[in-house]
Amino acid sequence: MRRSRVIGTTLACAGLLTATACGGSDDGGGTDGPVTVTIMTWESPETNKAIDAALKGFSDPNITVKRLETPGGGYGDKLASLTQAKKLPDIFWCGNDTEQQYTSQGLLVDWTKRVSEGEGDFKAANFVPSAFENWKTADGQMGGIPALLNTYGVWYNADAFEAAGIPVPKAGWSWDEMYDAAGKLAGKNGAKHGLVADQLTAGDGPFTMGMYSLSAGGAAFTDNVNHPTKAEADATYVEGVTKLAAAIKSGAVAPPGYDVSNAPALFSAGKVPMMFGGQWLAAGFQTDKPKVKYGFAPFPQVTTPATLSDSIGYCTPSYTASEEATYKVIEYLSTKVWSAVLPAAPVAPPAYVPTQGSYFDALSKAGQPTVIDTVKADLATEKTTGVRFTTQWASQVADLTTAYWQPILNGKKPVDELQVYVGKVNELIKSNG
Amino acid sequence: MTAARRPDTARPKGRLQARGAGSDTKAAYVFIGPAVIGFTVFVVYPLIRSFYLALTKYNGLSDPIFVGFDNFRRLFTVDPAFWPAMRATAYLVLLYVPLSLAIGLALAVFCNQKFRGVRIVRTMAYLPVVLPAVATITLWKFILNPQVGLMNTILEKLHLPTSQWLASPTMSMPSIVIVMLWGVGSTMIIFLAALQAVPTELYEAAKVDGAGPYSVFFRITMPMISPIMLLQVILQTTAALQTFNQPKILTDGGPGFSTNVLMLSIYKNGFSNLGRIPQLGYASAQVWVLFIVIIAVIALTAKFSSLWTYSDNSAD
Repeated sequence: MRRSRVIGTTLACAGLLTATACGGSDDGGGTDGPVTVTIMTWESPETNKAIDAALKGFSDPNITVKRLETPGGGYGDKLASLTQAKKLPDIFWCGNDTEQQYTSQGLLVDWTKRVSEGEGDFKAANFVPSAFENWKTADGQMGGIPALLNTYGVWYNADAFEAAGIPVPKAGWSWDEMYDAAGKLAGKNGAKHGLVADQLTAGDGPFTMGMYSLSAGGAAFTDNVNHPTKAEADATYVEGVTKLAAAIKSGAVAPPGYDVSNAPALFSAGKVPMMFGGQWLAAGFQTDKPKVKYGFAPFPQVTTPATLSDSIGYCTPSYTASEEATYKVIEYLSTKVWSAVLPAAPVAPPAYVPTQGSYFDALSKAGQPTVIDTVKADLATEKTTGVRFTTQWASQVADLTTAYWQPILNGKKPVDELQVYVGKVNELIKSNG
Repeated sequence: MTAARRPDTARPKGRLQARGAGSDTKAAYVFIGPAVIGFTVFVVYPLIRSFYLALTKYNGLSDPIFVGFDNFRRLFTVDPAFWPAMRATAYLVLLYVPLSLAIGLALAVFCNQKFRGVRIVRTMAYLPVVLPAVATITLWKFILNPQVGLMNTILEKLHLPTSQWLASPTMSMPSIVIVMLWGVGSTMIIFLAALQAVPTELYEAAKVDGAGPYSVFFRITMPMISPIMLLQVILQTTAALQTFNQPKILTDGGPGFSTNVLMLSIYKNGFSNLGRIPQLGYASAQVWVLFIVIIAVIALTAKFSSLWTYSDNSAD
């Protein structure tokens, strides 16, 4: 009797575990039968709607595509919990850092072979080369496919510049001109600061400042965000930080801690004359129609252009039900979906070059010539630096940044402390191999 | 005639007793079984497991690697966020606990009066407690926004100096405490119950003796409710040490480390956002530090409680 109880209990537990186990299979095999490929994005409801409409054009009798609803603000939390529960969807939007870290943990399917030996147009040669290379890990694996490129620059209120008698920013303008304009615009028309530059004052600031030193002929903050061997703050870099700290002290630039959550809205209302930002804001401005005449300029430079390189893409967990089916959907996303979505929501230029035309056409129709020029200039810029470390220990660097970078910018620590900060980052690089 | 035997009236023979001591024991096991299993599965096991994980390098994805006390060494000697987190937590506790007790008690004393509409006042004071915390905290985030928030708008209308509130390293923690005090109604309710349990004859006697309101409050009310005050100190301190929602939603620990309290630091390390690989082993070490801090604070509070709490030992 006792034995039968044990067997019964075991069966009950097995049943329970089976019922609650994750849905993905480990075989990663072919499409022998009907397969549902799930997708999770971090896009806005409008963009998701456009994606859904475009996905209806996908036709394969054995593949059903289903997009999972995700609250935009909670994407990171949802991704983290799905990762630990091993229930990631077959395709999920991911940043370069997620792709690098997850691939190195063996969590993602390696697409290297498929994409390099792919038939037709969907192959490596048709992607923006730098984006493609950045998605490879140190050992050459590629846990995801780059989808969209993020370019950055300075959004400016042309009306405010005109009223102050300052020429509007344009390609080739200098950092000194930017700080000078910010100083003149601060305190006017309800604008407390002339420039809101979260990318310089928040956690990614040290990397963004690398544009200054690169442009001046110096070295960026790190030699490689994916596989760094060193961090440094050379003389040109220190010069850039010194100028930024002075601009913050004068009130021209918003200090670290400035609440940027409403910055685009304030920019639209004319209360922020200049702000660092990405090209994706153009899609929002197109819908919201700011009260002011605005434009988008490339980052300032010292002697030569320099910018940030960043891209997002699709990742696939190693336990996807069918690699074959998932890859087919990724190919469809890259080659067809963005061409259909971008005219309605021009969020970013695609990494897959043949579809880039739809993005620029959409901006052209929307009357956003400065955005087109800046994005094109950004993509053509040779001197680039990554936006942050993509390593597993990146969060430890973020803590060091909070402890040193922001107090230096606020004037609570001398600029000399930069070398202490860099030394500690190098210790982390060394200790993590 | 003497009574040969005292009737056994103290223990009436019930059904369980009639079935013997063995049945009693079995029944007891059946009744406490679920609680013991629940406690073991949901408290004891996680406690042991988290201590084991605190001694490992573990990201929740691959197998844990035993590293001894390395996580604790990193916490105390390397991590630039740990000591600021301890300071922020201590600051929060020292600011929040006295204020919540003082305001809660003041509200309770006010609501203990007899006046028309007292029930409405009590309900109003308690209302924020029953509202969803995340919703009210998010609302406060808009109110305290330095650029477009209601608070600064009102201050400007009144020609009073405005503040950067959550965006200022010096004002961020006081701002968070203001938001936390929004839920002081729960403290008020417990104090109110304590106040209503004070025997009225003590007040009547004091009135006869001609005692003033201050004497009545500090010589009768406070001593009589001091055991509840001790309970509140322990409850509020423990809750404050584990504060998470407000700093997470309002500031995410910033500006700088000014509001990066220990619970938030644990969350950031254990469940890192934006696809970062979590450091569950390291976060577990932090959990144990917090656990020890809470135990130490409660022990110290209890040890010195006899200095300021009134205890009626006459019944012993």
